Amino acid sequence: MTSTTLLEGRNLRKTYRLGRRTTVEALRGVDVRIQHGEMVAIMGPSGSGKSTLMHILGLLHAPDLNHGPRPELSFGGQDMVTLGEGERTKIRARQMGFVFQDFNLVPTLTAIENVMLACDYAGMPSSAAKSMAVEALGLVGLADRADHRPAELSGGEQQRVAIARALVNKPSLILADEPTGNLDSERSAEVLGLLRSFNREHGQTFILVTHDPEVAEACDRVVRMRDGRIRDQSLAALAQPMDQASRAAVA
Amino acid sequence: MRLLRNLGRRKVRTTLTILGITIGIWALVVFGSMANKINSLVAGGSQFYDGKVTVSAKGAGMGFGSPVALSAADRIARLDGVDVVVPGVSMLMSDGMSGVSMGMPQMIRGEVAGADRGRETFPMAYASGRALTPADEGANVTVLGSDIARQHDTRVGDTIMLRGEPFLVVGILEPTLTAPDTTAIVPLAAGQRLYVGTLPALVAAELDPATTVSGFTIYPQAGADPEAIADEIRAAAPDLEPMTGKDFDSQIGSATSILNSILVGIALISLAVGGLSVINTMAMSVAERTREIGIKRAIGGGRLRIVRELVTESALIGFLGGALGLALGAALVTVVNEAGRASGTVLFQLTAGTAFTAVAFSTLLGALAGLMPAVHAARLDPVTALRYE
Repeated sequence: MTSTTLLEGRNLRKTYRLGRRTTVEALRGVDVRIQHGEMVAIMGPSGSGKSTLMHILGLLHAPDLNHGPRPELSFGGQDMVTLGEGERTKIRARQMGFVFQDFNLVPTLTAIENVMLACDYAGMPSSAAKSMAVEALGLVGLADRADHRPAELSGGEQQRVAIARALVNKPSLILADEPTGNLDSERSAEVLGLLRSFNREHGQTFILVTHDPEVAEACDRVVRMRDGRIRDQSLAALAQPMDQASRAAVA
Repeated sequence: MRLLRNLGRRKVRTTLTILGITIGIWALVVFGSMANKINSLVAGGSQFYDGKVTVSAKGAGMGFGSPVALSAADRIARLDGVDVVVPGVSMLMSDGMSGVSMGMPQMIRGEVAGADRGRETFPMAYASGRALTPADEGANVTVLGSDIARQHDTRVGDTIMLRGEPFLVVGILEPTLTAPDTTAIVPLAAGQRLYVGTLPALVAAELDPATTVSGFTIYPQAGADPEAIADEIRAAAPDLEPMTGKDFDSQIGSATSILNSILVGIALISLAVGGLSVINTMAMSVAERTREIGIKRAIGGGRLRIVRELVTESALIGFLGGALGLALGAALVTVVNEAGRASGTVLFQLTAGTAFTAVAFSTLLGALAGLMPAVHAARLDPVTALRYE
């Protein structure tokens, strides 16, 4: 593992307004640092703020600026807080990859077209995009399913297409929100193994939001959240006994 | 291809929306063609009457009706600014035809060929045969307008009956889209004889055909104002009614512009309805695709891209509706024109300009209608959109 910082956030806060008077404090001041080449799991019960943290780290949302200490967020050494929506979109397209729980492919596009969409958004000419997409689908073992629509693919296959789409631009950071949440344990292990191998072989950084202790176990480090704050960040090797200990304490 | 797949997601809805635009463009094409035809008749008339003064007996409309003595030509020729005075006769081809039918009435026009001394500038091209010459005076020969020739299925060398007399067809004109198309041109003497024959017997008995005409065409000297000559004629000969290009424009032009705006207005109303249905379709289609738009935004699709994709899609709906409407409109126009041609009534004129405008307009309408839902879609928060069920 290299020790250079890829992503660093300080004083990250996010309050969502649900109604006229109801607000939810999803993040209440989070400091987090992700190293280059790390594979990090973010765990926590629902409502703990783990997805919100991922959305902010993935530049889908901006941290609140209007209360508390000024937030800081840097990605690859560049300040992200002051960027506008257009620039954040561009960074998402070129330097990040996203995998979601519900596979989230565009239903009218074939597998390869879904992958090529990411190349297109990253500004790649379509001839290069085609060969990159073929290569990415090959890496996830779906070269022969390239011309199938999502509806013609199984859940595991759809998620692998989504992974190919996230990886096709060779981004430095891949964010995955419950990537195995809708898969059975066999498909889960397959997808997880795939992510792990990209992390090992290409040195790409992964942030995984998950409920699944097995997923967390496969990661280098686990960030545990509760009530909008980070409770602890430990190496995965320590995660398991501590988890058991805390469960024992609750029982 | 991807666009068509998107349209194909909700085939019935897309088809209905396209049909909505189709009806609007169909109406625009049909009514626009009708307006074109009227406009070209008017424009042709305007060109025909421009730069000269047409004189007929007072109380008669547009150069046919009551007789005028040929000797009036001498009085008119002496007026200031008058260059050439051409006496002529005009009459309806048959009494049965009233002015009720659409388009121009069929006319017989008698003039001495070349009497205008080259002053007539209205372009006449011959589809076949030749023009009349001064040598034809006294003979029963005729040059037919294109509509008359087609209606009577007549060629050069055939004989046609005009007001009960046989005439040899020596020439046929190219279509001009205005008065000459429905006119049979004959030598003056023959025209005078036919003309007197159309008058009530008591009136006709008093007249010598050789000195009777129905009006004059006056060509002004270079620099002379036709309006001024018309005023002189009104003052000098109260029994004559002069008409200039300006009179024609103000009488006919204003009436047709009202008709035009009614026709185009009807078409635009139906298009507005079509446009609203495109907005509705695109708004629903955006709502259905909320998640998909969320995915695209999340993986780096810019707002402009989202807007562009959706606007292109709605422009395609507009284009397809416009193309279909144009095809159906053109089919109707062609069928009705072919059916009406036999009776000399060509109702429509579909120009390339109208066709292009109709399709361009519907495409633009589709794009504009899609813009509002598209901008709404592009402003969606990607995370919220991803969670949308």
